This record gives sequence, C-alpha cells and structure tokens, in this order.
Amino acid sequence: MMKELFPKEHVVGFVGSLILTLAALSVITFDMSKGIAMTILSVTALAQAVVQLVLFMHIGETEDKKTLYTSVIYAVVVGLVTVFGSLLTMIWGY
Amino acid sequence: MSKENTSLPLEYRTEENRLKVFGFWIFLGAEIMLFATLFTVYFVLTDRTGSGPAGIDIFEMPPVLLETFLLLTSSFLIGLGVHAMRIGRVKAMIVFYILTLLLGAGFLAVEIMEFVTYVNEGATITTSAFLSSLMTLLGTHGAHVTFGLLWGIAIIVQVVKRGLNAQTANKAFIFSLYWHFLDVVWIFIFSFVYLKGVLG
Repeated sequence: MMKELFPKEHVVGFVGSLILTLAALSVITFDMSKGIAMTILSVTALAQAVVQLVLFMHIGETEDKKTLYTSVIYAVVVGLVTVFGSLLTMIWGY
Repeated sequence: MSKENTSLPLEYRTEENRLKVFGFWIFLGAEIMLFATLFTVYFVLTDRTGSGPAGIDIFEMPPVLLETFLLLTSSFLIGLGVHAMRIGRVKAMIVFYILTLLLGAGFLAVEIMEFVTYVNEGATITTSAFLSSLMTLLGTHGAHVTFGLLWGIAIIVQVVKRGLNAQTANKAFIFSLYWHFLDVVWIFIFSFVYLKGVLG
C-alpha cells in the first residue's frame, strides 16, 4: 500500500535532482576554469528544469502539449535574449 | 466537447478545468520572463559592489545547500501529493501537501535568517547596486514562496472540507505546478547567483 504512493518516475526524478545538485556543487569543490564551471552549471541547471517539467509537472500528458512546449520555449527564448542581449551590450562591450 | 471525460485524471475532466491548467502554463511563461529580467539586472550589476561586499564575501554555502535541499524535497513531496490524489488516496495527499508546506516554511525561515545575517554584516539593499539587484531577485522568489504557503494552506483546507472533486483536484494540481516552478527558479538562483558568486 505504501509502495503505490511512491511512483518510480518521481523517485527517479528526486534522486536525479539530488545528483545534479551535487554535480553543480563540484564547480566550487574542484579547481577548474571559469568556462568549464559555467558550462557544468548551465547543463545541470537545464537538466534540473527538465526533470521538474517532465517528471514532476507532467508537461507532456495532455493533448495540448505542443502548445505548452511552444509557450514555455517561447518564454525561455525571450528570457535568454533578455539576459544575453543585456550582457552583450552592457558588460561584454560589443 | 463532452462535459465530463472520465478517462482523464479528475483535475482535467471538464473543459473549464482543462483551460484553467492551460492558462496557468501561459502564466508560468510570463513568470519565466519576469525572473529572466530580474536575473538580467543581477548579472549586469553583479560587479557594481561600490564600497560594499561582493558575493564571494557574504555568500555562505551551508545554509544555501539547506535551502536547496528543503525546496527540492518539497517539490518531490508535492509531486507525490498529486500522484496520491490521482489514485484517490486523499489522506496521503493531504499529508504530502502538509509536508510540502512545512519544508517550504523551513526554506523561508533559513532565507530570512540569511537576510538578517547580511544586514548584520552591513550588506543592506541600499549598500550597492549588486546588493539591490541580489535582494530584489531573492526577495521576489521568497515572496512567491510566501504567497505559495498561504495558497497551499487554502488548498488543503478546501480539500479537507469539500473532499476531492473536479474543482478541488483542479486547484490542487494547479498549485503543484506553481510550487514546482518555484523550485526551478531556485535551482537557477542556486547555480547562477550562489555557486557562480562563490567562484568569484
């Protein structure tokens, strides 16, 4: 009876998110260049977001999933353009 | 479209409920952009520390790791709560939702102590552009968690009083989407504010 309360995909997602957190933590526990560190952080953060969206929020479970993917991807693209556009013009000096 | 589609989980059974879930995803899209602008301001101003401390001087990893663990676990628990709801285990669902909110409250307590520590160290919201943008970003996330606690309590009260039906299940599911989303935002704060900040 207890077992049915802990579905496999949720447990896998939780363990995965803990492992990804430890992987992200490696950037401050090991000596590495800033470029490698930022790459690791980007990959682990993106993977964490996918774990939440797919395994916990079940984004793909309804018929309108294509519209949901489009909406989320659109928001993420606008967000990335805002972040990197601002960094490009105001910090990196192009 | 038919009024009730019993092949779907309870929270999706009416057309209105399906549209509410859909609308909430659109709202989350707007929230993504809101936090993107706050991250933008933080990244642009992160080196403008004036005569105040930089991130590497004030960030302490143990409480931040505790906050991360609390929020990750609460996100897992509310996922289990939705699963329990879908298999009709109302009591288990309520227990998972209560545990979710308790961990959320724990997260908030640690974050408030962190803010108090910053202020005691002379790092206030008016000290530098870096700290203004940092506290606006963290504060907006913390305000979302605070609002989530109140919302979550209201959801639990409704499920206890009215039991599970198409309406309460729909509200409980939409709240779970909000709570998972706050965890996603925190992961980005953890990675690109704290870990990046400690890297210097």
